[in-house]
Amino acid sequence: METLLETTNLVKRAYWLVRLRWLAIAVLAAGTFVAGRFLKIQLPAPMLYLIAAGVLVYNFLLFDLLRYFTWGGKSASHKTIGRIITFQICGDLFILTAILHYSGGIENPFFLYFVFHMVLGSVFLTARQSYLHATLAVFLFGGLIVLEYLEVINHYALTGFATGVLYHSGLFVFGTLFVFSTTLYLVVYMTTSISTQLKKQQQEYERANIQLSQKDHLKNEYVLRLTHDIRGHLAAIQSCLNIVGDTIAGALNERQTDLINRACRRTAKCMAFVTALLKLTRMKLSGTVEMSYFSIKSPIFNALAVAETRAAMKSINISCEIQPSVDEVYGEPVLIEEAIANLLFNAVRYTPEKGTVRLCAKDQPDCVLLEVSDTGIGIPENELTNIFEEFYRASNAKKVERDGTGLGLSIARQVVQRHGGRIWARNNQDGGSTFSITLPKISQETPKKQDNF
Amino acid sequence: MEQARILIVDDDPDITEVMRVVLENKGYTVDSAADGNEAMAQINSARPDLIILDVMMNTLREGFLLSRELKKDPAYKQIPILMVTAVKEKFGINFKPAAGDEDWLPVEDYLDKPVEPNVLLEKVAALLQKP
Repeated sequence: METLLETTNLVKRAYWLVRLRWLAIAVLAAGTFVAGRFLKIQLPAPMLYLIAAGVLVYNFLLFDLLRYFTWGGKSASHKTIGRIITFQICGDLFILTAILHYSGGIENPFFLYFVFHMVLGSVFLTARQSYLHATLAVFLFGGLIVLEYLEVINHYALTGFATGVLYHSGLFVFGTLFVFSTTLYLVVYMTTSISTQLKKQQQEYERANIQLSQKDHLKNEYVLRLTHDIRGHLAAIQSCLNIVGDTIAGALNERQTDLINRACRRTAKCMAFVTALLKLTRMKLSGTVEMSYFSIKSPIFNALAVAETRAAMKSINISCEIQPSVDEVYGEPVLIEEAIANLLFNAVRYTPEKGTVRLCAKDQPDCVLLEVSDTGIGIPENELTNIFEEFYRASNAKKVERDGTGLGLSIARQVVQRHGGRIWARNNQDGGSTFSITLPKISQETPKKQDNF
Repeated sequence: MEQARILIVDDDPDITEVMRVVLENKGYTVDSAADGNEAMAQINSARPDLIILDVMMNTLREGFLLSRELKKDPAYKQIPILMVTAVKEKFGINFKPAAGDEDWLPVEDYLDKPVEPNVLLEKVAALLQKP
């Protein structure tokens, strides 16, 4: 049976145990001091301080051990960390027993703290191990009080707190031991049954998650195949229409030319849609993008060049302003050009004739901010985030342009997210809208921890 | 050079036909093959001056294999290859042979589908003019 926690979580928990132990050491030292000095309880204080010091050293060693196994993103195996934790958990029982021995044994009510250890143990251990853990605790504490009862080992009386005779009463010792053991086993039973249930639930979630992502992957693959096939047919249709339209296959009359041209236009639109869908799906399916450092200027200029021809047809003026310090970003230039071009195309498409489109590139501490603003129709405020969803088209955009894939912004978003950047839209005060994207200047790929289980 | 012999390798008969009409209209002699084996047979029986190769024949690999095969063969490596792709290179398949030592596809030029007659003719003329 798997334990509840995954490796990374396990490492965190292991450190947590170490931190708890720092606290326990402080409390032990402070408690000894307060009990002796203010409560006037007689304790073998030097021995208790010695234990505190010993545990301090032990805890430093554990801390170092953990650091050694997890240092610099190096990942220790589930097993190694698990062993360290099991070792700590058992070690703690010995420590607590030792402390109790020097502070009154059965007369010290702190023996109830064994319950905490049982609870902690059942988080990390399997059910069987938890019961063994409880058994170890029963043996240790039972051994301590029975040996003190039999006077095999010395009993340190808590003069000033307890009467100092209870340890010698057989009924009291064995009664306490009975209650103690049943308490521990019941606690373990309860906590393990809860954590077993949690583990089961977690496994179910994980399974459901995997299934979901597999289904999504399958769906995307299906879309990819489908669009690819459709694109093949469309390409053939368009190629045939092209040579008829170009009169390579013989002359046409005016009527025929007009019809062919209509067919050509519609096929081209269909093609654009399928191509966009293909791009988006490919991007979603492809695991990694090869990234490098390059000047953002060249994709900007390339995208501008393509957008300018479209803008010229509508007498739209495109201006571009790049801060002098703007230069290198980290990413994939062709994808970034695609994203910028999509923003520019949209701006041109939804801006009336004689309007203006402006592209600004601003240098920011760790990214480059690109802004494309237009004097177009704007976006209804409540649709500002929806427009990046696949196939979503703003209600006013549909009225201006009947045909549109609703994929341009999704592609832009996909590209920007792939680069660890952000994309958003807002309306300008004096009409039109502004789309902004940020692109990181330096690689965001931190040396990732490889989970090796 | 107008009498040049061109081999079209494509598994889509309609695309082949379109290119055939365009090229024959310009006076080229056109042969066609639907897969890699047929293409090799054609090349062996009548050496073409140019090969137009579809990258996506039956299996993704076939176009790659054929072009690499030809470029390795001293007798054929001079024949220019025009690769026809259904999707723009960057968004398309990774142009890297699976276990390849070279990370490029050995072809002289690319052409996007759908085939624009003028672009096709331009590229064909340019490739045939090269020494």
